[in-house]
Amino acid sequence: MIAVIIITSLCFVSVFISYVAFRKGFTKSADDYFVAGSSLGYFVLIFSLLASFLSAFSMFGMSSFGYRLGYGSLYVLTANLVPLGFLWYFMHKKTFLLGRARKWMTMGAPFGERYGTPMKIILVLVVLVASVPYVVAQIQGIGVMLEAMSDGIISFRVGLFFVPFFIAIYLMMGGMKGAAWVNAIQGVFFSVMVFVLFFFVMMKNGGFVPTMEMVLAKHPNLFQIGWAGGKVWSYPMIFGMASAMALGCVCFPQPYMHAYSSRSVRGLKAMFLSFGGICLFVITMPTLIGVAGNVIVPGLKGVEADKIYGLVAAATMPDWLAALAVAGGFTAAMSTVNGLVFGNAVNLSLDVVRTMRPKTQPSEYITFARIFVAIIMAVCVWIAWNPTTPVAELSVIAFGTVAVTFFALWGAYYWKRATAAGAILSTLAGVFMNILFFVLGGKNMILFPQDFMFQLNGFLASFIVAGIVFFVGSWLTTPGKTEEKSLKLFFHPVLEK
Amino acid sequence: MSAQANRKKNLGFLIVFAVLTVLCWCPIGYGRYGEVDLIMGMPSWAFFLLMIGALLFVLQWIYLFKTDLALYDRDVEEIVEALRKIDTEETRI
Repeated sequence: MIAVIIITSLCFVSVFISYVAFRKGFTKSADDYFVAGSSLGYFVLIFSLLASFLSAFSMFGMSSFGYRLGYGSLYVLTANLVPLGFLWYFMHKKTFLLGRARKWMTMGAPFGERYGTPMKIILVLVVLVASVPYVVAQIQGIGVMLEAMSDGIISFRVGLFFVPFFIAIYLMMGGMKGAAWVNAIQGVFFSVMVFVLFFFVMMKNGGFVPTMEMVLAKHPNLFQIGWAGGKVWSYPMIFGMASAMALGCVCFPQPYMHAYSSRSVRGLKAMFLSFGGICLFVITMPTLIGVAGNVIVPGLKGVEADKIYGLVAAATMPDWLAALAVAGGFTAAMSTVNGLVFGNAVNLSLDVVRTMRPKTQPSEYITFARIFVAIIMAVCVWIAWNPTTPVAELSVIAFGTVAVTFFALWGAYYWKRATAAGAILSTLAGVFMNILFFVLGGKNMILFPQDFMFQLNGFLASFIVAGIVFFVGSWLTTPGKTEEKSLKLFFHPVLEK
Repeated sequence: MSAQANRKKNLGFLIVFAVLTVLCWCPIGYGRYGEVDLIMGMPSWAFFLLMIGALLFVLQWIYLFKTDLALYDRDVEEIVEALRKIDTEETRI
């Protein structure tokens, strides 16, 4: 019952924060609603970007990884994300500057100006298709968590409606500003709760070092790389997972939306830099909690290990504090749904509707975005309704699918010879390869090294193919009028710094 | 500082970033298969991974906030003004 009260309170607090943004008039113009009037300071930016990326997987999934696979899991979401500081800066510096000059509000905008409308629409659709299973996985996770935390008082299917309803309300009401405020508060909340849980778990057996020595004595393989005959955490497996997660992050809508919303360059740089730094601490904690879980709740197998985060909280903390710790993971799922649904609704409203109805009034775009928030959320709840839908598996291809747009984005900003044909072919080829690998071999083929692909996983193979198609396609085709005309904007001498 | 010197400095940072990124994405040179020693309760390669991550974080901070190679707020107004004068095909709201 304590958990139900805590989660309901979190939902109401989120709606209230968004209501404040609405009442203060932060959603009146399209600029205000979609990019918060480019007014977000760096504290909100940092925690909003963090919360919009870190999902339930970051808490529950990573502790399960740590429990089952040990320290090698640190390559999935911790130090491997630190390079995002400079990767995001170089890839999105021009997004910020050109966005400010051209009043961009969507991730399709740079692609539209550089390559033309077809590429913009393809991008919007690719991101939407990649995002939906990821959002569905979060919503299903929320349903499962609510059922477990409430001891069945809130059933899985009621849970599917319960939280998405609140998320839709606060997104429709508060726009980017409301969403960023909610994300920031949720980001701070789950970061603090991870630290608190880490402290309790490690103190259970006398501190970090004694706990780890106990785990080492029982499960020495969890401390190794290349165990199970070189199959688990081999070099190719580590490289494939680490690079997939980082490169996927570059291309999702969140960094675009936050770059447009930033008040200053200082805030932009602080946000990009802090993300990896905070992940280095905040995601390392649940991973190590999972490793330590082996001596607190031993013997969990398969999907049972996914509950280790909640189980060690229950085993080491008072009930009310354990409920708060688990609610931290819950807010991580909420903020990811929030970030992806809003990003896609903005893309559909501004990129697709504007292309189909060029004379739409700016205020009407806000209405369209609100409608798209409701539609996307309803579709995701509908897909999530059947708990056996393999969305969790499908969501693993989300990062790979979005990452293939990396070359088109890089070419838009840094390669004058890039053409629309090269960008479109590259994106389609990359998406096709990801889907093909998934159909042929499921998530294993996407995530794990394959002998017949020189130890590359499906993600990296698709990424490399997308890159080759981009360069060859651009060389073999001639830049059209749009590409030629865009050069004076995208390669203006003032952008050289 | 001359543009040439800045370019060299920029390239230097990029090379260091690239090397550290590879190390953050793969334990080349500091992790080997099989039994490991512990440093502060962690396998030695995990300890080095976290240290490499921390080093990369600090170097990025220096690049972004302590050198004249990155973009600063004082530059933005002039850049945005120049860009606003350009006309391209896509219309805006």
